[in-house]
Amino acid sequence: MTEVPPKEKELTEQLKSLDKENRKLKKTLARQERNLERLHQSRQMSESLLSRAVQEAQQSEQALQLRSQELEKALNDVRAIQSRLLTADKMSALGVLVAGVAHEINNPVSFIYGNLEYAQQYMEDLLTLVSVYQTCYPKPNPEVKDCMDGIELEFLKDDLPKVMSSMRMGAKRIKEIVLSLRTFSRTDEAEYKQIDLHTGLESTLVILGHRLKASADNAEIQVTKSYGELPQVACYAGQINQVFMNILSNAIDALKEAKIEEPKIDIATHCDNHRATITIADNGPGIPANIQEKIFDPFFSTKPVGKGTGLGMALSYQIIVEKHHGQLLYDAAGPGATFIIHLPLK
Amino acid sequence: MFKAIVGHSTDVDSEDAIAEILDHCQSQLGNQLPQAGLLFAAMNFDYPLIVKRIQTTFPDIQLIGCTTDGEMSSVQGFQEDSIHLTLFCSDTVTIHAGLGQTLSDDAQAAANQAIDSLKLNNLQAIKLCLVLPDGLADGTEVALRQLQSKLPPNTPIIGGLAGDQYQFQKTLQFYQGEVVHNGLPILVFCGDSLKLSHGVASGWHPLSRTAIVTKANREIVHEIDHQPAVQFFQEYTGQQPIYGEYPLAVFEKDSDQFYLRASNQWDLDTNSIHFMGEVPEQAKVQITYATHDQIITAAKSSIQQAVDNYPGQQPAVAFLISCAARRWILGVRAQEEYALGKQFLDPALPIMGFYAYGEIAPLKMQGQSFYHQETLVTLLLGVD
Repeated sequence: MTEVPPKEKELTEQLKSLDKENRKLKKTLARQERNLERLHQSRQMSESLLSRAVQEAQQSEQALQLRSQELEKALNDVRAIQSRLLTADKMSALGVLVAGVAHEINNPVSFIYGNLEYAQQYMEDLLTLVSVYQTCYPKPNPEVKDCMDGIELEFLKDDLPKVMSSMRMGAKRIKEIVLSLRTFSRTDEAEYKQIDLHTGLESTLVILGHRLKASADNAEIQVTKSYGELPQVACYAGQINQVFMNILSNAIDALKEAKIEEPKIDIATHCDNHRATITIADNGPGIPANIQEKIFDPFFSTKPVGKGTGLGMALSYQIIVEKHHGQLLYDAAGPGATFIIHLPLK
Repeated sequence: MFKAIVGHSTDVDSEDAIAEILDHCQSQLGNQLPQAGLLFAAMNFDYPLIVKRIQTTFPDIQLIGCTTDGEMSSVQGFQEDSIHLTLFCSDTVTIHAGLGQTLSDDAQAAANQAIDSLKLNNLQAIKLCLVLPDGLADGTEVALRQLQSKLPPNTPIIGGLAGDQYQFQKTLQFYQGEVVHNGLPILVFCGDSLKLSHGVASGWHPLSRTAIVTKANREIVHEIDHQPAVQFFQEYTGQQPIYGEYPLAVFEKDSDQFYLRASNQWDLDTNSIHFMGEVPEQAKVQITYATHDQIITAAKSSIQQAVDNYPGQQPAVAFLISCAARRWILGVRAQEEYALGKQFLDPALPIMGFYAYGEIAPLKMQGQSFYHQETLVTLLLGVD
């Protein structure tokens, strides 16, 4: 057997080692090539996937924005309904209370007012009798004279008619206020019916009468009325009166707050073919432009916390627009605040 | 005593590679004899020769294994064209190998066959079942359910599906001296002293719109949202062929918990997609996506879960089973998964693992085992 020379053996080993190394490198290279190709494809797919996902995310964002707007609107609707229910409930309770009080006062006041006529007559008769006595007995005895001096007969004769007149005026005023309260609350007229809007305005002004008068800080508010000819309008009388009350109250508050020197409120009405229009304008500072669009939002108020509920104008808007299919507009053209109510005649 | 010894070679020559591994293992064993072994090998090796050499060296060994998509061990770290063998020695734990065949023809029968071939009188002694099914054959989930029904309740079944270096042509399984495909090799561990813990995490997150699987038959999905399944994917991926890197998240009913189902096969004639696992009809699904960092973070989570749940003081070996898609996406960062294992585990702890075409593990301790995709499964084993 021939022995392989050591050098040749070494070379064979080296060859074998190189061959192995070569095979290993080839394997690694083939794998790397596959990896590279695959990574390239994977990257393309990744780009496509991410691009589509971004597109979907954008669409989703838009959909969410839309949904958010819908929810915001729904929230406003819920708030409006809540405020309407709350106020309707409160007003209903107040209406019942006012109607009850008005009813209870009405009878005794009628009793007083009715009897005042007789009291006047009796008083005049008694004063005539006294005059007759004084004519027939110009020199009364000392006892009668003492009594005449004691009661200051001459002053009494002069003042008593004035007292009676004052009492009649007061009783008449109470009768008017009671009638206005009943008209205003209209608990007996909750149904939709034909009413005279001027009566509603007048009743409201009677109720607000004390607030129109001068006070230590404010001059008296002059109310000018330019009533046109209005036919009877079909509506919920109590609710319409409430709108008048809200707008007039706000006007009075604004005039007093601004301490206007010659405060005034103009109320005008007119009618065209299909609608009645009531314009209530004051000469106060008006509503700033940046909040004009919010004045009909529920819970929006410019009054200090605790003074305003922020529901008055929102409720008025609902009553006019939703309940009566009319329009309630704010007119920024004038120097003060002007509200225009359009009510359809039918 | 429970000991694991790992041998790992990157030699391209099968004869030299297995010789190097066996030399290394024998030097570690001293006069101990291994009871069982796990063999993982890259493609293009002479597998009959390799298993024969192992059988010749250790005639009584209970051996299973499979081909892979990448290998890792505490001897050579992360490798892509290598072979590694892990040998188990113990005087308190007994280990038995079994094999079920023709998995895709009758998965239930294959599972029964695997259990029968263990030749165990008392299955109740089994504490752990490792399983390495064929990665391209349907039926893994059916087999898994059957194994679960045969084994004692709550026995963890852990493993991974054999790979073929992303060629998707043929994977091989090893059982004793045999090299088979379409097989279901299992290795069961018996003995009360065995302690184990596991963890599983993926890192993939749903990205596409949510859709409903409207027509499916087990692994084949025909329609999603009443449109051809291929069309649903192409909306997002363009005309590219589908890859396992973008699996479907399949949501559990009325839950935000999901499992992943990947696919590499489209049937453009029928516009259906063949997934590597079952996708039920009416399931809510989304295409998912993962960045490198998300994958690495999930790897940390898997390892940490296993470390936190280990019931003893010191495990004897760590087994990492990672999805091939993770390796593909991670590219050069793939070695970070193994590096994390080194970082979170005892530096002296033997580690072995491989990249698979699907992973099997319970989601929680004492829980039922599930077939996962795109995950890293960590298993810690020991007696101390």
